[in-house]
Amino acid sequence: MALKPNYYETLYVVRPDLKEDELSKIQSKLPEFIEAHEGEVMKSDKWAERSLAYEILDHKRGVFYILIFKALPTVTRDIEKHLRFYNTDVLRFMTVKITEEVAVREKNAAESSAAESEVAETPPAAETAKAPEAPAEPAPTEEPKSETVETAADQPETPQEVTPEETAAQPQEQETPIEEPTEPQAAEAETEVQSAPETAEEEGGKE
Amino acid sequence: MESPRNRRYFAKKKVCRFCTEPLEIDYKNVDLMSRFISDRKKIVPRRNSGLCAFHQRQLAIAIKRTRYMALLPYTVLH
Repeated sequence: MALKPNYYETLYVVRPDLKEDELSKIQSKLPEFIEAHEGEVMKSDKWAERSLAYEILDHKRGVFYILIFKALPTVTRDIEKHLRFYNTDVLRFMTVKITEEVAVREKNAAESSAAESEVAETPPAAETAKAPEAPAEPAPTEEPKSETVETAADQPETPQEVTPEETAAQPQEQETPIEEPTEPQAAEAETEVQSAPETAEEEGGKE
Repeated sequence: MESPRNRRYFAKKKVCRFCTEPLEIDYKNVDLMSRFISDRKKIVPRRNSGLCAFHQRQLAIAIKRTRYMALLPYTVLH
């Protein structure tokens, strides 16, 4: 009965016209849930603001926020319950299990971008790199926001992986296209039974 | 016995992109996901996408996640 912590990623969409204080009311609780059970918030960021593919509650646009954390499986239930409580403001949310590798990479990317914004702005906010901000602090949340939007717009190919800081941090990802065969998908799928044999091998002879 | 039809098929055979390229299937990568849906927003079958069975399954899951988050449409009728 040893529950082990996993890595999770929650993506949630809020109404575009949501006020700052209402948003922080929603967001401020999330780290509490995680840290209450010796979890760790690895990244909490605005991901993008974009138009939705279909209307949700008559909203055509939405603001996407991403939360990456390490916690026990039970924590996801608290988080989803909390988000569901604000179901007129939070239009959609989804928690997905991710691999440690992806989580750590995202954390490093978030940290380096936070560090960069610190250098640009205010040195005293040195802790923010370590502890991904509670939404109460406006300065650190502001900076990565604009950055993620930019990268998403500039590089539609792979918005996460190729943020400029990250390429600086680990250049070998770019140089050697064939890196060691990591299988990040293997563990990613939440409850996949990886048993289906390759039945579909009768190559589409009859189209 | 080789019919012309078979020959045409083998000439077209593709290798799975996710096996050969350093790409990750990520439901947040909307541009990548949208390359694997048809103009009617259906998931492209394996014979057209050219993916291996493993990655086609991963991709199908990812596309469904993308749709749920309203990043891709389910149909053209929305």
